[in-house]
Amino acid sequence: MAKLVLKFEQSVLKEVAISDRPVTIGRLPDNDIQIDNLAVSSHHARVFKDVNNVVVEDLNSLNGTFVNNQRITKTTLKTGDAILIGKHHIELQESAAGEQVAPAAPKAAAPKIEETVMLDSKRRKELLEAALAAQAAAGGGQVPTAAPSATPSAAKAAAPSAAPRAKVPSLVVTKGSTDQKEYLLSGRLTVIGKSDMATVKIKGFFARLFAPDVAAQINKRDDGYYVAKAGQTPKVNGNPITGPTKLNEGDTIEVSGLILNFVFRD
Amino acid sequence: MEIGSRSDVGRMRGNNEDCCKVVPELNLAVLSDGMGGEAHGEVASQMAVEGVSDHCQEWVNDPEAPLASEARSDLSEHTNRLISGIRKANGRIFETAKQNPTHRGMGATVVAVWVNEQRMSLAHVGDSRAYLLRSGELQQLTADHSLVAEQVRRGIITQQQADESENASVLLRALGIEEDVQVDADEHLLMEGDIVLVCSDGLTRMVTEPEIASTLLTHPGAQSAADRLVELANEYGGADNITVILMRMPTSPDGLLVRLWRWLMKPL
Repeated sequence: MAKLVLKFEQSVLKEVAISDRPVTIGRLPDNDIQIDNLAVSSHHARVFKDVNNVVVEDLNSLNGTFVNNQRITKTTLKTGDAILIGKHHIELQESAAGEQVAPAAPKAAAPKIEETVMLDSKRRKELLEAALAAQAAAGGGQVPTAAPSATPSAAKAAAPSAAPRAKVPSLVVTKGSTDQKEYLLSGRLTVIGKSDMATVKIKGFFARLFAPDVAAQINKRDDGYYVAKAGQTPKVNGNPITGPTKLNEGDTIEVSGLILNFVFRD
Repeated sequence: MEIGSRSDVGRMRGNNEDCCKVVPELNLAVLSDGMGGEAHGEVASQMAVEGVSDHCQEWVNDPEAPLASEARSDLSEHTNRLISGIRKANGRIFETAKQNPTHRGMGATVVAVWVNEQRMSLAHVGDSRAYLLRSGELQQLTADHSLVAEQVRRGIITQQQADESENASVLLRALGIEEDVQVDADEHLLMEGDIVLVCSDGLTRMVTEPEIASTLLTHPGAQSAADRLVELANEYGGADNITVILMRMPTSPDGLLVRLWRWLMKPL
């Protein structure tokens, strides 16, 4: 049984079986194969069965319909041929014996353009698991760790690379007057300054006189801790930073008269 | 903070299922995009914004008010309140949908922003977004919980394919669909002159990010910028409901004496 496979670059987006009804292709949602792209006409082309042949017909589209690099008005397709509409390919393939491919669904059931729908949990799991398997098979990238849950996760490792035990980063004050000598960086946002809402609070009359409310900040991201400026530009290992800078074990941060050492504690 | 907001039905929908609420005294803003069709969406989105803002207000009035969910130790009290408020609202929407056959299937996205001095708490579920405009650059702060965004994150499709996909509106997470929901949350330090934009996809599907950025830069007033963004979305077709909240950090010049002192002390 013949089917049309809609592809963009190498990704298969949709498959539609060819039955007795013509399959319409175009930009508007009332098409069986909707391609939501400005290069595609509202009703661009259609594919139908003519006796034993599968025929593609252009519906007076603006940018044309191409088969095997030739612009066509109406032509017969062989298995393996690809129709090019805009940047999408629609291939004619034979479905495997026993393979079930849905014919074009009746229009009323198709979701309207832009209408938000929620993927049901079973389908969602299937899709994500399939995607994950495909990615693992391709040997690609980093599998994302579980998204943050609401339970306290003090032991959550900061770096995605294999860290055998969770180490908690800490700031040790080696110069300057602050409310604590050491600060465990457990939060996503750490603020250094003289303000009451600062995590690392600058003390001392003269220091506070010309320290800003918020001098610098440290942000926890998926791949580590980054120091960034606020009211002042901090120095890391003696050099003023040019943007958010990732902190490594042993780095010193200098800002507003303070010197802080960034270390990991077990 | 200076706050402006606007919610509009757009040009193609029969009703507005977006909802937003601003509590200026608290610098708290909540936005929700309802879904479910046949007007259930607006019930869900209203429950979302009211639920979150009530829960936060309750804690401000009574610091002993309990959280509806376990606290996360890496986040501030304000951020935990937003998460708890969202999870509570989710439970209510879920129950309401369960009890009322006419509301079955309703759901909503949510984005909540709460600014405490310079600390911004941000929590969201779904594909409505928060952006930060700083030094002329627009940065998206939230990750969309949509199928195509997840596919892009995992390297399965490109961003362009995502934009063209017919699955662009399919969500992986929303309020009201399951008994509990996973909320993404983060904290940011805001600086003078920063602008926070919270919006439903009715804006970002119609207007490009560079155009949003330039609109914000050319309209200094928060309300006038909000109005102009909605206008732009409609000019480009207004295919969905459009809701926008803008929060602008004040630029507060220090007193002359402090500035003089700092200038004198600079070489140190």
